[in-house]
Amino acid sequence: MKFLQTLSVARRTIFLSLGFMLVLSAVRLITNADDITSSGTISSTMRVATPILLAGLAGLWAERVGIVNIGIEGMMIIGTWFGGYGAWKWGSWAGIALAIIAGSLVGLLHALATVRFNVNHVVSGIAINILAAGATEYLSIIFFKGQKGGGESQSPTGKGGYGEFDMPFLTGGRVGSWRSPDILGWIERKHDLPLLPDLAGFARGLLSDVYVPTLLAIALVPLTGYILWRTRFGLRLRSSGESPQAGESLGVPINRLRYQAMAVSGGLAGFAGAYLSCVFTSTYRQGQTGGQGYIGLATTIFGNWNPFGVLRGAILFGFPTALKFRDEKNVPALLLVVATVLVVVAIISFTRQKQILAMGLLFGSALSATTYFLVDEVPQEFVAATPYIVTILVLVGAQQQLRPPAHAGAPYRAGENH
Amino acid sequence: MSENSESHSGPLAVELHGISKSFPGVIANYAIELMVRPGTIHAIVGENGAGKSTLMKTLYGMHQPDDGTITVNGHAVQFKTPTEAIAAGIGMVHQHFMLADNLTIIENIILGAEPTDNRGRINFGVARERIEVLMASLGATFDPGTNVSELGVGQRQRVEILKVLYRGAKILILDEPTAVLVPQEVEELFETLKRLVLDGSTVIFISHKLDEVLTYCDEITVMRQGTTVAHTTPAQVDRRTLAQLMVGSDLPDPSGRETEVGEDIRLQVLGLNVASEIPGAKLALQDININVHSGEIVGIAGVEGNGQFELCEAILGLRPKLSGTISVGGNELSGSDTRTRREMGLSYIAFDRHREGLLLDSPLWENTFLGREENATLTAGPFMKNRSIEADSRVIIERFGVLTPSEQVPAFALSGGNQQKLVVGREMASNPKILLAAHPTRGVDVGAQSAIWDELRIARDRGLAVLLISADLEELIGLSDRILVMFDGHITAELDPNTATPEMLGTYMTGGEIVTSL
Repeated sequence: MKFLQTLSVARRTIFLSLGFMLVLSAVRLITNADDITSSGTISSTMRVATPILLAGLAGLWAERVGIVNIGIEGMMIIGTWFGGYGAWKWGSWAGIALAIIAGSLVGLLHALATVRFNVNHVVSGIAINILAAGATEYLSIIFFKGQKGGGESQSPTGKGGYGEFDMPFLTGGRVGSWRSPDILGWIERKHDLPLLPDLAGFARGLLSDVYVPTLLAIALVPLTGYILWRTRFGLRLRSSGESPQAGESLGVPINRLRYQAMAVSGGLAGFAGAYLSCVFTSTYRQGQTGGQGYIGLATTIFGNWNPFGVLRGAILFGFPTALKFRDEKNVPALLLVVATVLVVVAIISFTRQKQILAMGLLFGSALSATTYFLVDEVPQEFVAATPYIVTILVLVGAQQQLRPPAHAGAPYRAGENH
Repeated sequence: MSENSESHSGPLAVELHGISKSFPGVIANYAIELMVRPGTIHAIVGENGAGKSTLMKTLYGMHQPDDGTITVNGHAVQFKTPTEAIAAGIGMVHQHFMLADNLTIIENIILGAEPTDNRGRINFGVARERIEVLMASLGATFDPGTNVSELGVGQRQRVEILKVLYRGAKILILDEPTAVLVPQEVEELFETLKRLVLDGSTVIFISHKLDEVLTYCDEITVMRQGTTVAHTTPAQVDRRTLAQLMVGSDLPDPSGRETEVGEDIRLQVLGLNVASEIPGAKLALQDININVHSGEIVGIAGVEGNGQFELCEAILGLRPKLSGTISVGGNELSGSDTRTRREMGLSYIAFDRHREGLLLDSPLWENTFLGREENATLTAGPFMKNRSIEADSRVIIERFGVLTPSEQVPAFALSGGNQQKLVVGREMASNPKILLAAHPTRGVDVGAQSAIWDELRIARDRGLAVLLISADLEELIGLSDRILVMFDGHITAELDPNTATPEMLGTYMTGGEIVTSL
């Protein structure tokens, strides 16, 4: 494990993903559940993970500047509504743009409350969540009710047009009007080989049938890393989350930075909402977010306030859900995956002298494996719960290494801390 | 003011003339005169609350003076923000470090003055080179790429100084820089400062530790009660004179006793060690031994911040101790909580009546009831007997002469002196066996002072054991039966009040030794 800690976060993510692929490959060969590493599952995972990733990045931008943003859920709700409205009137891209603007404005509202009026961050965030739910319902009654396909709780169908993407040559994308060969698809179908088809499926999943907004969201991960860790703006922003007094004493405009970062955070959350209402589906529906804003915030923590960590967390949450969407019969195989992963985590815990945790994990692993061999059908609810169970376990194991921004959520007034 | 008008070439580095600054209800500075010659280490000494930090914040642009002029290098200036002060070549190292733990040393230093290309991307290579040059001139050896969280106190201070130098500061203000350092670190710090002065910088050094000031500084300005009272050099004064200048005037006589000190030990502190709140800093209390007999007042002299607060909190069980024992009437207190300790007869007049002593928004009767919730005459089971509590409150108000229309007014409506009388009254009302009295007469008028002293004397004659912590040396000498001096977390001396003088106390309190010729 020492080796892993010497790597950069980006490399560690790649390394861990490879290990995970190995586990999946083995499980696939044992269970014949070919779909668990198919390109379809992977691209489905990416779609499910995108809004969570965006919400996680929204949480990261807010907490890095020192503001706890429980209001991500509300900002997402606003995003779904404005996304739905824009998609209905002008098309998906307009919906996304409108949602980003609306989300930013709500983000600024949160900043106004927490920075200017020093309202407790959690209270302001919860107020925003409640406000967003009520406001969207009210707006729906005004704008959607009586329209064709629309109503109090949903928008008329959007015009679509967000665009999909296939990589030429590797996944059979088109070059002009000519359809290029699908090389990865060919490898993927060699199901008897170990690992190779899994990797091909993984790559193909990332490169074929991809929504362009998903690509945008993924591009935001390294972009966030670059802005926050390589630029002047980013350093000042992080200083605001670590020690605003230090920044202030050096002439850093803390309050302005907080407004800026909250505009970005709100915009990301709005994007996440619009993704649900005009990319993933083509209508706004009430309650569409289903708490994904909170899950996003959990990935912020899970990802140790690092964009690559957030990506990791979003995929972890997205994968089981995607499997369920694809085919119910894949789900039992998931039990075996969980069992294997738990064994790995248990070994890690054991080497870190956390015997009790390790024993617990092993017990969970045994339970999971036994269930796999005894049960033919796994209840759906189990799938829905898996990511949360895994998260709790991982958070318990990772707690010691988490390093939240020191000043996130703490009250701060300029000029009062000397 | 002892005039030091030797002729020198070139303008003064800093000249403050007639500066005054008041906050609502407090005059923090008035009629300040300060002249700092370039290329010197200039000490500003004074007790806590003398207005040193306020003055330096004025100079650094953190707030604006109400009156007076500031001249830097011969130019009249008016700083609206620290940024403007930095631009004029002034840098400040705050007493409480302003560092972001999770950022690297480089990031902390360049923050706000980052070397970037035209797209805002930070050029870390350039930054590191510049910082390494500055580090070499300070004699600092750490990897600027490490996180600040991994540094010790002395190194953090070095980073703070680097921050200031990185911005090109030629005039450095250090606000009580040695308060958190161990002796070796203090020596290292002054070596660093000497190097800087040789390179042409000017250092303004705020302190109340006379030893350091006399050993290392070139000139000294003394402040007392918000204004500058003297300007001198180490060659012209000795420790005694300086202490006298710092401590100041006299007060009415608190002395007199007819009864004898009791035989039994009410409060015993043995080998007490308490850690500092700042990780990595020296111990807040080290090997403290105190006995207080019944009917005895033991005075603790010391400049504030030398461990008195930690001592009280440790005795009350508000602060964990590392080792040692605290016993009341022979019972060891380990494991008992503050409530139990109070029930055993411990009472406490807190250091800061606003923060610890009172609920400012609550009426007086609630305040006099605080901490006495177990008193059977004031409560019935889980219920408060409001009538009795109010009557009890009126008794306290009358006995201690608290000036108030009734017991129903909120505590903030009272003047400071009356608030203090109320606190003292409450703590005496539970008939304590041991009283920890921290600055019992601070900020009260002369009449209230003698009233409080009278009450303390009466209670003492009835057998109350008092640990009296005070900055008022006359009060200590007059009331105490024995005086212990605390310095730097140690008890450094035990004095007989019959032979002690304020000058002697001042010397011990500031870390000096007195060579007695018997």
